[in-house]
Amino acid sequence: MTIESADGLTEVEEDALAEIANLGVSRAANSLRQMLGEQVFLAVPKVQIVDRQTASALVGRGSHSSKLVAVQQSFDGPFAGKALLIFPEAQSLELVRTIVGEQHSLEDVIDLEQEALAETGNIILNACLATIANLLRRPMHMSLPAVIRGSGETLFGGPGAKDNLVLFLYIDFRTKARDIQGFIALLMDLPSITALKTIVTDYIRNVELGTDQAAR
Amino acid sequence: MFNWEAVFDVIDAGVIGIDDRYNVVCWNEWIAKGTELSAAAVLGRNLFDVFDGLGKTRLKTAVADAFQYGSSSVLTHSLNKLFPFRNETGQEVIHNVIVRPLPADPIKHCILQITDVSVSVARERVLRDRQNARYHAIVDSAPDAIITTSPDRTIQWFNAAAERTFAMSVDALREQRIDTLLTGPENLTEILAAHDMKGAASGTAVQVHGTKRDGVSAYFEVSFAGWNADGRRFITTIWRDVTERVAAENALYAAREALRKSNEELEQRVIERTNEREVVLRQLHESQKMETIGQLTGGVAHDFNNLLAVILGSLSLLRKGLPPDPRTSRLLDGAIQGAERGATLTKRLLAFARRQELKLEAVEVQKLIPEMHDFLRQTIGPAISVVLDIPSDIPPVKIDANQLELALMNLAVNSRDAMPNGGTLTISCRTETTEMKAPPGLPQSDYIRINVADTGEGMNDATLAKAMEPFFTTKGIGKGTGLGLSMVHGLTAQCGGTMTISSSVGRGTTVSLWLPAANAGDLMAALTPQAPQASLQNGRRLRILLVDDDYLVRANTALMMSDLGHTVIEASSGKSALEILQLDNRIQLVVTDYLMPGMNGLDLAKAIRGVTPKLPIILSTGYADIRSPLDMVFPRLPKPYTQDELAKILDAAVK
Repeated sequence: MTIESADGLTEVEEDALAEIANLGVSRAANSLRQMLGEQVFLAVPKVQIVDRQTASALVGRGSHSSKLVAVQQSFDGPFAGKALLIFPEAQSLELVRTIVGEQHSLEDVIDLEQEALAETGNIILNACLATIANLLRRPMHMSLPAVIRGSGETLFGGPGAKDNLVLFLYIDFRTKARDIQGFIALLMDLPSITALKTIVTDYIRNVELGTDQAAR
Repeated sequence: MFNWEAVFDVIDAGVIGIDDRYNVVCWNEWIAKGTELSAAAVLGRNLFDVFDGLGKTRLKTAVADAFQYGSSSVLTHSLNKLFPFRNETGQEVIHNVIVRPLPADPIKHCILQITDVSVSVARERVLRDRQNARYHAIVDSAPDAIITTSPDRTIQWFNAAAERTFAMSVDALREQRIDTLLTGPENLTEILAAHDMKGAASGTAVQVHGTKRDGVSAYFEVSFAGWNADGRRFITTIWRDVTERVAAENALYAAREALRKSNEELEQRVIERTNEREVVLRQLHESQKMETIGQLTGGVAHDFNNLLAVILGSLSLLRKGLPPDPRTSRLLDGAIQGAERGATLTKRLLAFARRQELKLEAVEVQKLIPEMHDFLRQTIGPAISVVLDIPSDIPPVKIDANQLELALMNLAVNSRDAMPNGGTLTISCRTETTEMKAPPGLPQSDYIRINVADTGEGMNDATLAKAMEPFFTTKGIGKGTGLGLSMVHGLTAQCGGTMTISSSVGRGTTVSLWLPAANAGDLMAALTPQAPQASLQNGRRLRILLVDDDYLVRANTALMMSDLGHTVIEASSGKSALEILQLDNRIQLVVTDYLMPGMNGLDLAKAIRGVTPKLPIILSTGYADIRSPLDMVFPRLPKPYTQDELAKILDAAVK
């Protein structure tokens, strides 16, 4: 899909951004693997910058119901905004089941859902934000995760910041038993977008120089 | 100065502070209690050295990220086992850990906040158990068997009713294919798959046949709905025992079938009755038609007969009065013959109309018919053999013997004409009672049936239907009058019997005459000869009172009487006749027409008899409607008559 935003990214920038996002989620996959003792694959097949209405429509599309579950964390510093990991409600339970393992009964999974989801979201979002912080070479202030339920409008509506843009990532979460699709959304103000563009530009330049900035 | 350290020690949560080398810098009272490690024992030590295995948990990554990127992390009991906390009773403390960096650039310190969630976890567990208990109470108290199947349609779960219904142990039922519950031809696996694929609405039901506990077979209505879990498709089936309902439906169906059948039978019977009714109506119509034709024919014949009487009378007078001339005599004879043939015709018509004059008496057919044998032979010719089959004990029948002979001759001639190439004519007699298959309309009595059967060409149905109608003939023009069968029919009817015809094309025709058996009174009448009436001298001149309403007839008869030398006083009605008789006591003979308006001839005769019993009276009539016993008392003058006939009867009356 081409970028429709006024702050549109070139194809090269888009590819770079997807690469950065994949660095982030592969960090998260490492954490999960460490925790679960099982291979977990996380991948970001596509990246877009869209406005909030479009983001709201994108998360509502294709799911069985408009009910969504999101883990939200806010971040502050040179790069500020909110990060959300979003799943259709039905998929979120599947996600938790995948994480807490088959040994738990369905009832247990329901009991654990809220906490397990918060923690899983926390791991994935932290990994993404850490990757950005790493590229900025500056730590950020990150809040604790909160679980939110509702429609796309609930998640992206919020008061103020109407012209905030959303960095919208599609995320594939896969174990050997399951394959779950969700979204990561970063709601940012204009300075953050500018900062993000700088990161992307630097990243591209470094890649062109042959320096692998992503390696830790 | 506020004592911050005291705050750390009193809050109801564990607080551990570490520096960027993970060395413990802060260790509050809560954590000291839970780990039984005092602050003094751990301060300055690397946190991950204090607890074995803690370095292998995600806590280390979370702490590293906190220092490097400023990440805040949540580590919950659901996914992690971190610190080996025990409470005062020695039980494991379920806890969550939050890792937060203290804001600084670069980050120098990090706080681990540990919260005890044992209580809330226990509460959730209790709540869940209660919820489960309620859920199980509902599901297990359901009267219908509830069974869920895995995607491969093996039984995955079932309720208490399922166990009760199918009497299978938990182990026997689980992991069985759901089709093992069926005994009918249904394939529930396929049905479920097909419905589920179509996305059929929940509550769709199918009827299957299965076996309950103790081998009792039963019908079940299975409703089902699919659901997804763990990315797999499950189907919940609810089995309702509908055996009684199916039995009731079957009974209802059988009852409906029976009703439908009885309706059909009823309809059939209605059709039969309707057909019978139509047959009867047709017969009634036929008999009414014959009746009407008879009345019409009788009326016409009567008037025509009167005219013939006038013509014959006038002609006979004319012949007397004219000088003998061969030419004139020939003309006159021709005229008289024509008129006489006309008289014969009217007689036949009257026979058909059942108005001929009959002399009913007891006739022994076993004598009468053999006597006709030679004459029959002559009439029908040598090509046809005649067979008579008449038992000698046949009782006598009540009929006019001459008319019976005539009727049999008529039938024999018909048979002859039906057998141009020869054949057999059989005349047989049988005694019948109406209990046997008598034709409809006959009153209950004993009957003699005379059959006249031929082996001729027979009649088709259309011909048969019209055979008894007057003037209906199949013979060529000039060969038959069409009055034969109708005359015979009229005769039998007038005698109190009937005539039937059965015939089939190519096989012959049988005409049956049903004649009433004669009773004792008839036998007496046959034996008693008629008493002579008067004793007047032959050739006397008489004073005659002639009564007739028809002027032409009266005038003609008066002319004939005067010509015979009698004195004739004419009266046009019974009333004036009686007046004349009162005034004129010299009248020696009364000749009266029978059918007159007002007082008829018989009434007049009776009235005269009442006054002057010895006065002879002659009834002149073409009718035979006089049926009373008295009708034998008065001599008859049948119309039309010639002068000779008139003279004879006048003489006879006064002898």
